[in-house]
Amino acid sequence: MLCQICGKREATFHFKEVINAEERELHLCEVCAKGKGLSESFFIPSFSLSNLMAGLTEFEIPPSQEIRARCPHCGLDYAQIRKKGKIGCLLCYQTFKDYLAVLLEKIQGKAYHSGKVPRKGKLESKEQRQIYKLRKDLEEAVRKEEYEKAAQLRDEIRGLE
Amino acid sequence: MTMILQKMANSSSLWLKADGPEAGIVFSCRVRLARNLENFTFPPWAKDSVMKEASEKIIEAVSKSDYLKQAELIDMNELSSTQRRFLLERHLISVEFTEGGNYRFLVVEKGEMLSLMINEEDHLRLQVILSGLQLMEAWRLSDRVDDQLEENLNYAFLPQWGYLTACPTNVGTGMRASSMLHLPALTTTHKIGDILKSISKLGLVARGLYGEGTKSEGDFFQISNQVTLGLKEEEIVDNVERVTRQVVEQEKKARQVLFKRNKTQLTDEMGRAYGVLINAHLMSSKEAINLLSKLRLGVYLDLLPGFSIRVLNELFFLITPAQLQIKEGKELSPFSRDELRAKVIREKLSSLK
Ligand SMILES: [Zn+2]
Ligand SMILES: [Zn+2]
Repeated sequence: MLCQICGKREATFHFKEVINAEERELHLCEVCAKGKGLSESFFIPSFSLSNLMAGLTEFEIPPSQEIRARCPHCGLDYAQIRKKGKIGCLLCYQTFKDYLAVLLEKIQGKAYHSGKVPRKGKLESKEQRQIYKLRKDLEEAVRKEEYEKAAQLRDEIRGLE
Repeated sequence: MTMILQKMANSSSLWLKADGPEAGIVFSCRVRLARNLENFTFPPWAKDSVMKEASEKIIEAVSKSDYLKQAELIDMNELSSTQRRFLLERHLISVEFTEGGNYRFLVVEKGEMLSLMINEEDHLRLQVILSGLQLMEAWRLSDRVDDQLEENLNYAFLPQWGYLTACPTNVGTGMRASSMLHLPALTTTHKIGDILKSISKLGLVARGLYGEGTKSEGDFFQISNQVTLGLKEEEIVDNVERVTRQVVEQEKKARQVLFKRNKTQLTDEMGRAYGVLINAHLMSSKEAINLLSKLRLGVYLDLLPGFSIRVLNELFFLITPAQLQIKEGKELSPFSRDELRAKVIREKLSSLK
């Protein structure tokens, strides 16, 4: 088998990644593997094949839509973010939130953060965060038909507001 | 800087000690948290002045953390490419970091279980690696370190999207939990393909280096979470840990089957692998990894008295190209490396007798 990058030398380095039952394989020769920092090594954990191979198509938006906005903090527009596949700052997330919401749904599924919340930060926003988290718990309690717990959460939220 | 690396090269990372649960099969487990500072442009877009200020803020927070105040601070720009490569081989920095760059730092605690990259793709990448399968422990430690750092840093965070990262694949918890498994029996019996596929349907990613046909090349695989948003950290850890445990059980079964069916053949393979390792005077990385993988299985099956998983774990890391060169204190040609690698292995194995 020939190397997938240079197409000239015999591939001696084989890498496999499986996501959602979809296999991606990468076969490289020593030279190209070395170029990617991968040769002669005993397993490199931070290496992701999908990062290396996947296009940034997820960032695509319908061609008819033109986004004029620029992030007020870092000055990026959406075309730049899409081209690099990297977001610029916190305000980017807010400025382009409609597009990023679609993108995140594609990558992460339809979901909201339910993990750790920073302890410190500004006091007011910490309370907001707390209320937000309680609301999420409330939604879940209602969904699971745990009405006693829901009533309790409702009281807690009222107490904070 | 050279001194620090030299010191590291002369000792093994603590997570190689093989004292964690299931260490005969799970080489190591790892939790990584990605964080960014609130009022700073993320590294892929940041100007040098911004990177500089962000790094100063983080280094200050690091110096105030009980967990990290004894840690070494290593500036990527002060290292040669072999030295950076050495840190990559020790699982302390990413491939991206091996390119160097301004205001990029590694903070590494003694024992190398706890480390931090500053100004990688995100301002902060915190990492905990432990021996065997103890991901919940790894998460708890990284959580506490994260809490301490956060006392002096404001992280970029939005309630609906959690911790904000440069790449949308990390947003939310910013967490990647993974286990590294040694699966020679599942590889030999050709069951590994189906297992990796079924794992990937559970929202996890499986990846590995593998050989062509029946020739195994180390037989190491990694399982990690794919999604970072919408689940609690404990749920992510639990998923990875549960699935890892299932694979461990399957590998155990496959090892017993191999042992029962082909004990003579297995013993022969171990003996041959040992014979080559203890006698060779030229040894490539690939061949060494392949043979050591066989010995690692042999130790598990009690076919190699006097050996321990720990010694083999450490050997895997003692013979990587940059490790050999750092320890030797000079650049070596591939031929000299193969020669030195064979010597290191011979010495280590004869010391076990
Ligand atoms: Zn090539
Ligand atoms: Zn921005």
